[in-house]
Amino acid sequence: MNKLLAAAFTGAMVLGSAVAASAHFQMIYTPEMALDKGGKIPLKLVFTHPFEAGHTMDMGTPEQFFVVRSRGENAPKKTDLLKTLKPITWTSLTNSGKAWETTYQARGGDHAFCLIPEPYWEEGDGFYIKQNTKVIVNVGGEPGAWHEPVGLPTEIVPLAKPYDRWTGNVFQGQVLVNGKPVPGAEVEIEYLNHKPLLDKNGFAKEAAAEAPQDSFVLQTIFADENGVFTFGIPKAGWWGFAALDLDPEYTYKGKKCSRDAVVWLQAKDM
Amino acid sequence: MFRRLSIAAFSVFFSAGLAQAHTPLCSCFDNGDQTITCEGGFSDGSSASGVALRVQGADGQVLTKGNMNEDSEYTFSKPEGEYTVIFDAGEGHQITVPGAEIVE
Repeated sequence: MNKLLAAAFTGAMVLGSAVAASAHFQMIYTPEMALDKGGKIPLKLVFTHPFEAGHTMDMGTPEQFFVVRSRGENAPKKTDLLKTLKPITWTSLTNSGKAWETTYQARGGDHAFCLIPEPYWEEGDGFYIKQNTKVIVNVGGEPGAWHEPVGLPTEIVPLAKPYDRWTGNVFQGQVLVNGKPVPGAEVEIEYLNHKPLLDKNGFAKEAAAEAPQDSFVLQTIFADENGVFTFGIPKAGWWGFAALDLDPEYTYKGKKCSRDAVVWLQAKDM
Repeated sequence: MFRRLSIAAFSVFFSAGLAQAHTPLCSCFDNGDQTITCEGGFSDGSSASGVALRVQGADGQVLTKGNMNEDSEYTFSKPEGEYTVIFDAGEGHQITVPGAEIVE
């Protein structure tokens, strides 16, 4: 049991099993990852507990938010989107938290939206959490460099397109820290179980799935010796993958900081 | 023996699949400055550089034509009235984009 697990366990003892079962996930949400046509798309940046649409944490001002567009064999192009972000308040089923939104004019190919957030102080656990997050949107079906690292300090590189998965497919990703694979990385997985309502900046009350027991709310798997994890997708919708504490010595403002990497996929039924 | 046959059959199926997988793609966007940019490509990510593109008017006359540049793009002045863009990568590899469907 590593320190983070131990800390999470201690927190669980204090807060109770309902909280212990769900984990923090940084979201970059837009309704559709695989668009037929380009145009203006909405993006919402929310730091939350997606399965239960639970406690939503206050986000600080992100350190970086940018998109890397790649189409076919063209060289990827990076565009800074940080200044386009506007603060919003996102309402969960239990509270509300500071979040961000923007819109983006998408043309063809892959658009890898990348967020490096300000670390979040988790009072209950006594350490910071920093989830570098990537979401890849495709327009028109022409692939780009979705399978190549963007170069985030911590990053999950998809080995299958996160936007073309059928329900029942597997998804694989490689966990990297500073560009190097993380053998045995611990990966937490949650389903986005309550539909985000973009006009209300909050989650729908209705849940898509019911967990038969707490273990199913937050699934934990481990990467292999190459940092590669594999997940079978049981249901259409958004699935988040968070590789945890990839740089155990990392600190922020003199305190322990869990340096995580997050990626999302959107699966469709056949 | 059966296994070898299976592998042979799989190889044939696989190569046929590869050809099928190479479908042409073309999306056009209104740049908002009286120009249109068309982006061409293929579903396997290969380049469409050099592929022919033409713009036709309502009665089929060619208004402009050219080839995709090194970034697999072609930009032209937005025609008055109805028009259609034809991305022509050879037989079975043509895409037709009606001008009315081209937006920002």
